[in-house]
This record gives sequence, C-alpha cells and structure tokens, in this order.
Amino acid sequence: MSLARRLGKSLSKLLLDPRQHAALSSLAFRDAGHGFDVLGFDPEAFGVALGVTRFAYERYFRVTSHGAERLPRSGAAILAANHSGLLPIDGAMIVVDVARQTSPPRVARVIGDVFIPMMPWVGTTFSRIGVVAGSAGNFRHLLESGELVLVFPEGAPGIGKGFRRRYQLQSWRVGHAELALRYRVPVIPVAVIGAEEAWPEIGRLDSFHAFGAPFLPIPATPLPLPVRLHVHYGEPLVLHERFRDADDPGTVRDAARVVKHAVDALIAQGLSQRQGLW
Amino acid sequence: MVTGATTPIGRRLVERLLADPGTTLVLAVGAEPDPLPLAVRDPERYRYRQVDLTRPRELHDLLFSDGRQLQIETVVHNALHRRAHDEGPRIHALNVECTRDLLSLAERHPTVSRFVFRSASAVYRLDPRGSTLLSEDDPLELSPSAPQKVRDRVEADLTVCTRMGMSPLQIVVLRCAEILAADVGSQLWDYLGSKVCLRPTGFDPMLNLLSLEDAARALQLAVGGPERGVFNVPGRDVLPLSRAIELWGRVEIPLPGPLLAPLYRLRARAIGSDFRYDLNFRRFHFSAVLDGRRAQRELGYEPLHRIVWPYSQSSGSHS
Repeated sequence: MSLARRLGKSLSKLLLDPRQHAALSSLAFRDAGHGFDVLGFDPEAFGVALGVTRFAYERYFRVTSHGAERLPRSGAAILAANHSGLLPIDGAMIVVDVARQTSPPRVARVIGDVFIPMMPWVGTTFSRIGVVAGSAGNFRHLLESGELVLVFPEGAPGIGKGFRRRYQLQSWRVGHAELALRYRVPVIPVAVIGAEEAWPEIGRLDSFHAFGAPFLPIPATPLPLPVRLHVHYGEPLVLHERFRDADDPGTVRDAARVVKHAVDALIAQGLSQRQGLW
Repeated sequence: MVTGATTPIGRRLVERLLADPGTTLVLAVGAEPDPLPLAVRDPERYRYRQVDLTRPRELHDLLFSDGRQLQIETVVHNALHRRAHDEGPRIHALNVECTRDLLSLAERHPTVSRFVFRSASAVYRLDPRGSTLLSEDDPLELSPSAPQKVRDRVEADLTVCTRMGMSPLQIVVLRCAEILAADVGSQLWDYLGSKVCLRPTGFDPMLNLLSLEDAARALQLAVGGPERGVFNVPGRDVLPLSRAIELWGRVEIPLPGPLLAPLYRLRARAIGSDFRYDLNFRRFHFSAVLDGRRAQRELGYEPLHRIVWPYSQSSGSHS
C-alpha cells in the first residue's frame, strides 16, 4: 500500500468519529479490482473527504438535514438541487449529508462540469471522491449501476448567479429528466438553504477560461461566511409514470419543469422555515 | 488462418485454437521462420507459412493457394506493426494496405466466411468532455496531428468497419484494451520498463489493461461464434496510472506536463526505448475504460485474467 493510501486511512480514522468510520466499511461501492471503481472513485479518499469536511459540516455551516428518510437505501435515483456559492460548497455538504443520513452509507455521485477533468489536482481529487464529468455516457453508466446521482441542473450559471439573484433558479437543463424517463428512476428534489448567501460574488472575469472554466468568480470575502445550511429533500418524483416518451423534446422539457417547480417549492418552504441566517 | 502468428498474442491464440478439438486446422502466418513447436505436437492440424504481408502477390497466393487447398473458413488478422517510433509507407502498408487487401481477398475467396480483426482501444479519441467509459459508438481519433501509429490503427479499423453489412463475410472487429506484455507493442510496458516513471503532475487517469490470455480468449470467441460487429475487449485491471507504477515496483515522479515530451524523446534517443509521450499524452491526462458489455452479451467474453503485477497489492513487497 502506498504511503498516500496509508496516510489517507489513518487520516480518515483520526478525523471521523468511530461510528462514522466503522460505517464506511459498508459503503456501497463497485470495486473494479484495485480498490477503485471504473470512474476512479476511491472509498479511502471518500473517507478522508468526509473527515476533512466534518468541521465544515458540523461546526462551520452547522448543516441540518430535513426529509432524509426520502433518500432510497438502494437503487438508482437522481437528486436535483439548486446551485450556488462560487465553490461547490452546496454539493460537498449534500454529499456529506447523504453519506451520514443513509445506512449503509451511500455516495451521491456528483455530475460535475465537463471542464473539471482538465484541471490538474482538482480533476483527480474530484474523481476519487465520486464526482464524474458531466457527459451523458457517465450519467448513463451511473444510473445503470444503480447509483445515487446528484445533479445541479442550473450548471455553472447557478454558481455565478450573484447575491441579488439568490434562490432564483437559473436556466434549467433537461438532461436529468430525459435520463430519469429513459431509465425509469425517481428524481428527488433537493433544496440547499444558506449556501446562496454563504459566499457572495462581487464580480467575475468573463474572459478567464483557463482549463475550460466558463469564468472566474470574484468573491466578496476571502472565505465563505459561516451561515447555517439546511438541506431539504423533497418527495421523490416518479416522472416516468406521468411522462412516457424520453425522445420527445416537449415531454422532456415538461418533465424537467416539474422538477424545477418541485425544487422551487422546496426552496420556498426552506426559506419560510429558516430562523435567521446564522 | 491467423496472421501475426509469431507475436505473443498470435502464438497464444494458435495454442488455444489447437487445444480446442472443434478446430479442424490452423494455418499460422508470420513474417519470421516458424518459431512454434506446435507443428511437432500436432502436425495434422497445424501449418505455418512465412509470408511478407506487405506484398500483395504473396498475400494473394497465400489465400488462393494454401488457403484454398486447406479450405480455411476464418481469417484472424492480428498482424500490426508494433514499434511506435517506426513510421513511413512500409509501416502503413502493413497496418492498413495489408488489412484492406486481406479483406478484399477474403471476400472473393471460395471458402472464407468469417473475418476477425484485432483493433485497439487507441482508436478512440480521449476527450475530457466525453464519457470515461468508452462504448463502441464513441468518437474515434481522427485528428490529422495524431501520430502515424494511431492514424494507421484508426484507418485499418474503419477500413474493416466500412465493409460490415456490404460484405458477404461475417466481420468482427475487436477493439482490445492495451495488452500489458512484452513484444506486443504495449507503450505502457516500455514506460514501466524504466525504474523511474515520469507522469504529468496533477493528473492520475484510470487505465484499463488486458492480459495476453484474455486477448487470445476474446479472439477465440470471435472465431467460434456467429456474431458480427464491433466489440470492445476490456481487461480485468482497471486502476490509476500511479497505482500501475506502484504495482510494477517503479518510482513515480510527477512533473509539469510540458517537460515530459522532451524528456521521453531524449530517453528514446539515448536507449532506443519505444515509449512516446505524444502518443500517450491524452491517456496520461484523461481516464478511459472500455465498456465491454456488448462483448459480454454477444460473444460471452468477460475478462478473467489479471495482469501479473510484480509487486503485490497489499504489502508492497515483491511477490
């Protein structure tokens, strides 16, 4: 075993509480033979990531989870969430929350933007903790493998939407709805409350495209603000019972609209339930 | 009939075919004198012919003299040039023209009904925006700036694929993952031959490697079945590049990407090694694993044999 893997093992043991660390051994994971899955996911690295983000989850953002009983214990499903926050803090906290709220723990496989694999270190690290580049082929593979897939249909515009447009869903991609119909899997709407205020953007460099990035956001603060985050899971939407033809663009758009409305409603509910930012 | 029969894959395939009592006869074809002791073991079912496949006349006579007399039914085309640094028309003639000629001759041959071509995963274009798991329908590397080895592989693959559905032959193309073995043209084999392996810093892509045994088994299954089409042949080993280096007992040094091409060019000039960084640039940055579900479903192929890694997984000690 390499030094890095040995260090990782010790680190996750050190950073996680014993119950969480023990639960990791029953993590649902398809080993392709050398301790990684075919897309590069590494349970050891995932354990380290859970340990490293523990402080952020428990102390800094003090994440509370609502409706986690709606997460399926097994089988493929799509989590569709609102997106915000310069760096994907929302994505990280959903992944940690899903792993903590499910037993045995499940990994929410995040569909990241296509430029992520081009970024040195970031691409490799993300793939080890379960993020995959947002291609249709990768998405299909995850669903066929019975994975829980986390998508942000707003995409990069969601991250750069700016403080004034917080909690206003941006242009909503439809790929997740098409695949939900094609593979007959439920879509679980997710709303993250708090992340849209956590790291306000004061501007952005639209001409910055290093490694394929769409822009470079300029944050108002050097670190995200320690606002409380609330993760809300909605009722699973069984789209394939209402919509049939996954090849019909109108049907797919309608199905995606249902998901968008459900996320919107969940955001409204989350905002009304929230008792202060901090 | 098996071309490239003196290569490690060809040899393994011939052995497997002869071990199968259902095989009537194997006509092995190679560029060198017969190195196989198989003729001694099974003289009735084994013939060897030394043929320069780049010469159309020799190729024609092989098929329409020996081939007709022995009533060969299946042609397995496994002969491709192996060294990555060799380029030029003669290499192209073996990789592409010979494939085209062989296919065309097989189509008008009175007894040949099946054509199996061993292609390679190198034909796929590795694109970070594409899927990590490559299916048979994924884009091919058609860039004019690709090295000749890749362009030849793609051209030969497409040459065979374009005849599917129009040819009287049952055509099978097997796109094999990289076979990690000596003398098969494996770039990774040469790369791992060095005690110190340089890799681009910040990138650690997933690789898919195939054992010789599985490659030969996939070819044998393609020979035996009635299925036709293009099939990916993945290997049992799916692992990051850094892990492959570790399991091979090598020291890895991550370096900025732009330094690697000149350093490996220097190495090739100094010691005559075959590894070319430009040939592997994308593969050393972006993950690519073959999706073998079609081969599993239709050919019954599943990778069974792992690469024999010199260093064991658990302890890091020499096994």
